[in-house]
Amino acid sequence: MQATQKNLGEVLFALVFVVLGVAGVIFAGTIEVPDLEFGMGPRAFPYIVSTLLLVLGAGLVYQALRGRLGAAEDGEDIDADASTDWLTIGKLAFFVIIHIVLIEPAGWPVAAAALFIGAAWALGAKPFWRSVLIGIVLALVLQYLFGGLLGVSLPRGPLLEGVEFLNG
Amino acid sequence: MLMEGFATAAQPIYLLYALFGVFIGTAVGVLPGIGPAMTVALLMPITYSLEPTAAMIVFAGIYYGGMYGGSTTSILLNTPGESASIVTALEGNKMAKAGRGAAALATAAIGSFVAGTIATVLLTFLAPVIVDFAINLGPVDFVALMVVAFLTIGALLGSSVLRGMASLALGLFIGLIGVDDTTAQQRYTFGFAGFTDGIDVVLVAVGLFAVGEALYVAARMRKGPIEVMGMGTSSGNSAKWMTKDDWKRSWKPWLRGTFIGFPIGTVPAGGADVSTFLSYAAERKLAKGENKKQFGRGAIEGVAGPEAANNAAAAGVLVPLLTLGIPTTATAAMMLTAFQRYQIQPGPLLMETNGALVWALIASLYIGNLMLLVLNLPLVGLWVKILQIPRPYLYAGILVFGALGAYSLNFALMDVGILLVIGVLGFFMRQYGYPVAPMVVAMILGPMFEVQLRRGLQISQNDVSALVSTPFTWVVYGALVLMFAASFFIKRAQKKMEALPVESIAEEAK
Repeated sequence: MQATQKNLGEVLFALVFVVLGVAGVIFAGTIEVPDLEFGMGPRAFPYIVSTLLLVLGAGLVYQALRGRLGAAEDGEDIDADASTDWLTIGKLAFFVIIHIVLIEPAGWPVAAAALFIGAAWALGAKPFWRSVLIGIVLALVLQYLFGGLLGVSLPRGPLLEGVEFLNG
Repeated sequence: MLMEGFATAAQPIYLLYALFGVFIGTAVGVLPGIGPAMTVALLMPITYSLEPTAAMIVFAGIYYGGMYGGSTTSILLNTPGESASIVTALEGNKMAKAGRGAAALATAAIGSFVAGTIATVLLTFLAPVIVDFAINLGPVDFVALMVVAFLTIGALLGSSVLRGMASLALGLFIGLIGVDDTTAQQRYTFGFAGFTDGIDVVLVAVGLFAVGEALYVAARMRKGPIEVMGMGTSSGNSAKWMTKDDWKRSWKPWLRGTFIGFPIGTVPAGGADVSTFLSYAAERKLAKGENKKQFGRGAIEGVAGPEAANNAAAAGVLVPLLTLGIPTTATAAMMLTAFQRYQIQPGPLLMETNGALVWALIASLYIGNLMLLVLNLPLVGLWVKILQIPRPYLYAGILVFGALGAYSLNFALMDVGILLVIGVLGFFMRQYGYPVAPMVVAMILGPMFEVQLRRGLQISQNDVSALVSTPFTWVVYGALVLMFAASFFIKRAQKKMEALPVESIAEEAK
């Protein structure tokens, strides 16, 4: 069961390359070519790259169907025997979206703290208050370093309106 | 020229920047999950406020520092699974288990210093020679060089040729989005204003390396405490540091590793991984008698050689970057991006137009190496502490930094959204065994390749045979064939070796 599921995923992922390749070939034909152009023009390289994607993708689909699967990447923090925990991935993606939504109305530090606290919670950090503390401190330090010192214009947000040294 | 470089790099403020770079570099090298490429990508905002010399000194420090830090992790972190890909862990981990961690760390650090310094000397003398030569190269010659870079990065690295090439092609494709450099026509933008300038390579790098990695680790996080091994100096005395015998057994591997690593770094033939493996294989073959038996059980040669090779290769990678403008690793691609942010185009003219910057950069490499030696030997306890950061905080922090890097590019919320999409892509690539580095390198090299290709064909009036018309192109394509033949044998040998430790463990169990 587990094996066929991974199989299916891999076939689908390889199909993404095929689809991109096909789309690339189709839309390469819509690129405008200036009249004065001689030589390769702006369409040739897109055609080459899209065809390459298409061919490689087809080869990968074939391999995956034949059961020749890729080896999942190793890592120091990876438990090779664990199965994929989709819920945690979903939670992390959710908090990144929350972060995006918060940046403009609430300011970058608030959005960053929310992302950190949410992600740490999703990854199983305990106790909760410590994540909150670290998240707030980290967000303020980054706002000060990048916004205040390096002059990167990160919005402070209404909460920290009056704090001049955090000005992005 | 180099002396002027030293005069610049030795100014207190630049020394501080170098120190900052090597410190951050070592820290991220130690931490699993972040590497120098991602760090340089994340620190790209400093290019807004620092002048080019300072920024490049920081980035070069991160680059060298990352090489030093990685060895600490592979020696002290007790996690199985990685040993096959990081050669140092093969012997270093065994040494640490036998209570000789301090000696392993020392031979790695000193070996890195020796190799880094010699390789930087080689870079110093080789770079002007190559520039003199490269200045006469035409577009078709550059096309040949980049074809080699594409094929070696895509096909030779990693275990699956198709997957490496697919990752490369995807990078080329994303690189096409935006306005065509030559004719100013829009390509694959679908009338979408956000795509006109193309998708920023920093965004892709941070998405793949930072967000992709965080998602991937989150999906299969290793539970339980982080097992870091001691250094074997429980009594506090330094007697267990490198003994006279260790020095005797280390110095030759250091030198051999240097001369294996540097050339491999210089040609785009696989980067650091191949060089460490070759050095390990050489040391194993050359060891005699009692020392030979130690291989697989903690032979110091097996740490000294590969670590030296690793650092020498890192310096070697700077040769094509600074003389030809061709990046062959993800970190080099990020450094090239930093150059581009300052409107500096790396290539054969770089040393002429920005000589002061290049020589200050090279001088700072010498200084950085020395700093790294000092930083790594006595401060190893600090790095061990960093290694123990609880993983939820580490990866949550990586996400925050990634989001910061993405947002600070253009202060556009959409960039953070694209970051997430690319992160998810990076997750699936890791899950299904696609290497991510070729994609990043291809994004940088692709547009340069297209420009040279079109220029070459324009000069020859669309005669494709022009692509193989100069003696230089013959040499390059000939070398490519040889490289592929060699890699076939190396890969076979590598597979054999990776199978070995398992067997020897099985023997012990009998």
